[in-house]
Amino acid sequence: MKLLKKTNRTYFIISASAFVVAGVLIYFVLSFIFEDQLNEKLKSDMDSIVRAIERDNTVPYYYPFIEVRKVYGQTIRPANTVDTLLFDESERESIPFRQISSVKIIKGQMYLIVARDTLLEKSDLLLIIGVVIGLVFALLNISLYFINRKLSINIWKPFYSTLDHLKGFSPDDHEFKLSTVNEIDEFTELNKTLENLTSKVISDYQSLKRFTEDASHEIQTPLAVIQSRLEALIQYPDIKKDQAELIKSAYTSVQRISKLIQTLLLLTKIANYQFPEKSRVNLSELLEEKIKLFEDHIKSKSLILKKEIEPEVYLETNFFLTESMIMNLFGNAVKHSLKEGIINIRLRTGYLGISNTGSPLSVPSDKLFERFYKIDKSTVSQGLGLAIVKEICRLNRWEISYEYKDDQHTFKVKF
Amino acid sequence: MKILIIEDEKDLVEIMNNYLGSEGFLCESASSYFEAEDSLSVFKYDIIILDLTLPGGDGLDLIKLIKERNKEAGLLIVSAKNSLDDKIKGLDMGADDYISKPFHLAELNSRIKSLARRRHFDGTNELIFNEIKINVESNEISVNGEIIDLTKTEYDILLYFMVNRNKLITRESIAEHVWGDSISYADNFDFVYSHIKNLRKKIRQKNGGNYIHNLYGIGYKFSD
Repeated sequence: MKLLKKTNRTYFIISASAFVVAGVLIYFVLSFIFEDQLNEKLKSDMDSIVRAIERDNTVPYYYPFIEVRKVYGQTIRPANTVDTLLFDESERESIPFRQISSVKIIKGQMYLIVARDTLLEKSDLLLIIGVVIGLVFALLNISLYFINRKLSINIWKPFYSTLDHLKGFSPDDHEFKLSTVNEIDEFTELNKTLENLTSKVISDYQSLKRFTEDASHEIQTPLAVIQSRLEALIQYPDIKKDQAELIKSAYTSVQRISKLIQTLLLLTKIANYQFPEKSRVNLSELLEEKIKLFEDHIKSKSLILKKEIEPEVYLETNFFLTESMIMNLFGNAVKHSLKEGIINIRLRTGYLGISNTGSPLSVPSDKLFERFYKIDKSTVSQGLGLAIVKEICRLNRWEISYEYKDDQHTFKVKF
Repeated sequence: MKILIIEDEKDLVEIMNNYLGSEGFLCESASSYFEAEDSLSVFKYDIIILDLTLPGGDGLDLIKLIKERNKEAGLLIVSAKNSLDDKIKGLDMGADDYISKPFHLAELNSRIKSLARRRHFDGTNELIFNEIKINVESNEISVNGEIIDLTKTEYDILLYFMVNRNKLITRESIAEHVWGDSISYADNFDFVYSHIKNLRKKIRQKNGGNYIHNLYGIGYKFSD
């Protein structure tokens, strides 16, 4: 929810409940005051009537407000107050009255004295209070809305500009500057804190990047020396067969280490988000191109390749990583397929499935994606291919899954 | 043909020097940014091999310098960084090729010769070994004057042999040269053998000699 909406809503809810409470209070206070005044007035009316009778001996009559009758043989009764309804001829409706009545003996004559006054109708009172409160409430909220809007536009301006800046942040930037001159101290502080944070992120990212590159350089250069020395060594014409065997074994090992380092560094780089470049990748074309690379592999194992590749499937992603994922998935399928097995490739928008024929896994399938996990310990594979695929999928928020059905191992990627 | 090797690892310079020297190249070397600057300001080279990670400066800056001072030179970048960034940047800035460490000497030699050919330094686009002739422009191969029909793979292998003649080339080097990264997914090198077998057969059919010698199971030597 937007800040403005949230504040407005909060103001609205709080003021609404305050106004309801206020309305109820006003209602009770007003009715109490009205009734109290009415009772006072009726009492003083009664006193005036009695005084008028005593003084003039006249009987005042002013229906329905004052009613005095001479009565006989009744018991004397002190003043008592009741509410009653009287029918008003002119308005043709019943109107509530409060009346005070008393039987008194004045100068030897017995009188029934009644004084009345109209009671304010409760519904009228409620209506009036409701309308007034409602008006004030509306006025308050409308003005709050405009004040808030103005405040949020002016006061929150630096905040929104910071937010915009942050959205464009990439750790690959060499510098990240935010305005630190603000009218509002909190925002200045926020920007300063963010700047510290981002400069830390940038420097961490850069040093990690440098580390992977330096590590690569420092390891690969001596390996290049060893490999080239071995290649130079085998050029000697009088080399013996057993010496050649020794060189061959050392040579193979150097290559293994070199590939391993490359793969490990690749994993590190993916984990460090060092592949920020994105482009529109034609997955269909890329897949066909990679399949072509494996023609000889497929022929030499007599594999049957079945492909259903929808043309023009595009992904907005990093080209190098996508290539790497396809090489790994397809390469694994070719490598692990049984001879004369079937390889299925399905590509359509949002889905890639690659499967190969093989006997069931002897291990739980969730172990497949673990680093250095090899099903067959004797193979020279690194056991890192699927770990890379998993990392690439995680980075791109693609979903990778594995399934075994009808002798087919299938890896599915949902984009 | 004159080559400048810009590389700070002395051992590697020596190895490249020896190997390329035996192929008839004249090699000089520079082991730091400043040495490279010096050499480039005084001499002209036909081909420059540049390691991007150098003491004293950024290898990418050197590319600019090379393009200013020695425009005609073929430029091969060698890097262990294996970072795609550098590769793309380097090629964008005008480098002709990129090879990552560690490399096979035969591969390095093949890349340099290809650079040299593209620049017509030797004035011919033909590679000749006895009765075998490759026209690298038209991709035509003839044995004893008769054209033979090779597959793309066989052609690549033969060309690789021809530029690295009289040298023992490892199977790994051939496999990587022809099949690239996909080779690491092969169970064995069987299809390398089978392509070489076919290549031998096709050359023999035109009464060509058997020049491809298998040595100790390590690799092959293309020689008399």
